[in-house]
Amino acid sequence: MVDEFVSQGTYPTIVKNMNHWIASFLLLLFIGCSLFTTEDSQTDDAKLRERAMKLHREAIVIDTHNDVTSPMTDEGFDLGARDTSGKIQTDIPRMKAGGLDAEFFAIYVAAKYAKEGGAARRAMDMIDGVYEQARRHPESLEMAFTSDDIRRIHKAGRLAALMGIEGGHAIEDSLSALRQFYRLGVRYMTLTHTNTNNWADSAGGINNPGEKRHGGLSDFGREVVREMNRLGMMVDVSHVADETFQDVIETTQAPVIASHSSCRALTNVSRNLTDDMLKALAKNRGVVMINFYNGFINTEYAKPGTAAPEKAATAATMEMLIQHFEHAIKVAGIDHVGIGSDFDGVDGMLPGGMEDVSKLPTITYELLKRGYSDADVKKVLGENLLRVMAEVEKAAGKAQSSGAKPSFAKINATKSP
Amino acid sequence: MPKRILAFAVVLACAFVSRPAAFSQSQSSPADDAKLRERAMKLHREAIVIDTHNDVTSPMTDEGFDLGARDTSGKIQTDIPRIKEGGLDAEFFAIYVAASYARNGGSARRAMDMIDGVYEQARRHPESLEMAFTSGDIRRVHKTGRLAALMGIEGGHAIEDSLSALRQFYRLGVRYMTLTHSNTNNWADSSGDINNPNIKHHNGLTDFGREVVREMNRLGMMVDISHVSDKTFWDAVETSQAPVIASHSSARALTDAPRNMTDDMLRAVAKKGGVVMVNFGKGFVNTKAVKPSPETQAKIDEIRNQYSGDQATMRAKMRELQGPPPRVPLEMLIDHFVHIAKVAGVDHVGIGSDFDGVGGQLPEGMEDVSKLPAITYELLKRGFSDADVKKVLGENFLRTMAEVERVAKSLQASGAKPSTAKIGAMAKN
Repeated sequence: MVDEFVSQGTYPTIVKNMNHWIASFLLLLFIGCSLFTTEDSQTDDAKLRERAMKLHREAIVIDTHNDVTSPMTDEGFDLGARDTSGKIQTDIPRMKAGGLDAEFFAIYVAAKYAKEGGAARRAMDMIDGVYEQARRHPESLEMAFTSDDIRRIHKAGRLAALMGIEGGHAIEDSLSALRQFYRLGVRYMTLTHTNTNNWADSAGGINNPGEKRHGGLSDFGREVVREMNRLGMMVDVSHVADETFQDVIETTQAPVIASHSSCRALTNVSRNLTDDMLKALAKNRGVVMINFYNGFINTEYAKPGTAAPEKAATAATMEMLIQHFEHAIKVAGIDHVGIGSDFDGVDGMLPGGMEDVSKLPTITYELLKRGYSDADVKKVLGENLLRVMAEVEKAAGKAQSSGAKPSFAKINATKSP
Repeated sequence: MPKRILAFAVVLACAFVSRPAAFSQSQSSPADDAKLRERAMKLHREAIVIDTHNDVTSPMTDEGFDLGARDTSGKIQTDIPRIKEGGLDAEFFAIYVAASYARNGGSARRAMDMIDGVYEQARRHPESLEMAFTSGDIRRVHKTGRLAALMGIEGGHAIEDSLSALRQFYRLGVRYMTLTHSNTNNWADSSGDINNPNIKHHNGLTDFGREVVREMNRLGMMVDISHVSDKTFWDAVETSQAPVIASHSSARALTDAPRNMTDDMLRAVAKKGGVVMVNFGKGFVNTKAVKPSPETQAKIDEIRNQYSGDQATMRAKMRELQGPPPRVPLEMLIDHFVHIAKVAGVDHVGIGSDFDGVGGQLPEGMEDVSKLPAITYELLKRGFSDADVKKVLGENFLRTMAEVERVAKSLQASGAKPSTAKIGAMAKN
């Protein structure tokens, strides 16, 4: 669209200063060229798509947030067969079509478990759901626990299944429980979900005056971050309040991730990261994984400087989604952006062209189209997350070998600031 | 007393205890006894000695108690120096979840806290302790001269009615689970509150409870019937496809406590290929303990129910009611081993000390884990062969554990899938 506009605008001014014949000749030549160019751009586009698909297949493609774990756990949904209900965005056939190599299944613990009890047990139920899929589909899925596992399983042509807890209340205020979750294979944890817990403020319910807040992380919350560092569990800042984000950056001794958050400068919602946060994340050597949810990427719906409307956006475009990748790359740098789809966690409210996991190659195509090099695209697709994960592992190894011991801090013994 | 009368009395006593005269202490010289002790110690060191129930996990988890150094408080019966003296080769640390968690929530998390306490000791003392998960592990760790640390959940409410949680506990290394503690849970009746009319009982195991047993079979987690009600015991035995264990229960024929097992139960465990691990707690082995009158029992039940969350007060109130406990010599403890070996067979008895779980109420001569060789000595003295003593010390249990592992493998190989049964979807009887 942009190139066409420029051509139309400049053509007549050239014609004015030429005689009729020359003008006619040039016009014919131009039409010919235009035809040729159109044909050529079609070929170019096909070529680009082909190149994108090839690159996408080669690359290690990682998504750090998928909520299909909930129907897996609660409705017995099986990843093996293509879903025909139209309600599910993730299954093995479509993961294969989408060239996905590693998925972090969300071990989502709803806020109600914090109130009613059973949070740790609920997390165990969800963890079981993931292991069960790996048991049922060994030819397609393999449990992975390290960055090396992801590379190895990718080589074997299978999907690496990983787990991240969504909602820090899952540990029921116990660092011992946190360690058991690590032992069970959980490799990241969002410090909160939409609820402020006993040690960290959430971006959700920020206007709920009834909720006791800590001004970010409490002392125990900082201890949780340090213990995650020592274990080698990635600290995930998606869902936390801005103050919590700052406290995490200040506390952590390893890179952190935002497993499913986009850019607040484009879409002004509290779940997205401000430019300052993106910069802080880059400085921390971490990575922001762009969330595909319409409500987080629609640049019309929640313009910066204006409050987000009460009702979530139901529509957004691919263009808007890619703008978030571009913005995050521009602000944080190409080494600090990745994919955190939130498939099956947003009621299907996804941009046109990104309706399910099979559409992931479009990201590769769109990024190449915008001039990113193959190497840069590979970073966004997975290498950035792999680097962060490897650094988190290394930091943990170093902490442990230099004598850092498991923390037995109790929440009651540490005070909220 | 004139000599002739004394001799007659000795003969009479021997006849009464129906024990071969050759093994009565009065006939062995001090030199013979020293030899026997030496032989016992040698045998004990050679054997794989396994204890299936130790509650030191609670002070480990709650008070930061470390196993590394000998306890000087006098309140703890277990630490690495005394484990070594006692020649113990494998310990099942109890992942005890108090009944209060069933009421107030947090059972699964509490179990995780306790599990962490065990792993932490193995992390701190790698030269002495190693985590073990299979019968093969126990044999291997024994060869390296270290203690194999294993875990068993005490109180089925730990799984918060979720078979998924059960599987994660297996994944974390838990290898047995008592279906209940002293509280009846949502799927199994306990012996601890079976007479409490305010508790909703299920007449044994519910359908979901049976599913728990089957899932434990499939996983290879030993079904532990210590603490359950009699009916739950029979339901578990009927349902289980693998041998079951009683990780810390003694013989009811000798000590009439609901936590102990009747002779019929002992025989049923034997028939399943399982094993009864004798509890050392005075309350379980005192052969002078008689069944209380219905009135006293009612008072006992009342105290149990009223102070179920406060063990110290419960014990104090019990003492107030029942008076000071009588002397419990080591002999009484050994009688339980002998009785179970007689009724269930020598292949179906083992050690389930309950050290650090009975408020220090232990028989004379069995005050802590360092005293374990006394079991070997006493059994030899009663005429058990070396091979039989080894069975009691650990081989019986290893056989049962290996069989549970074999059944699980066979079930899985024949296509048994993880159960997705939910408690709400099943009848509660």
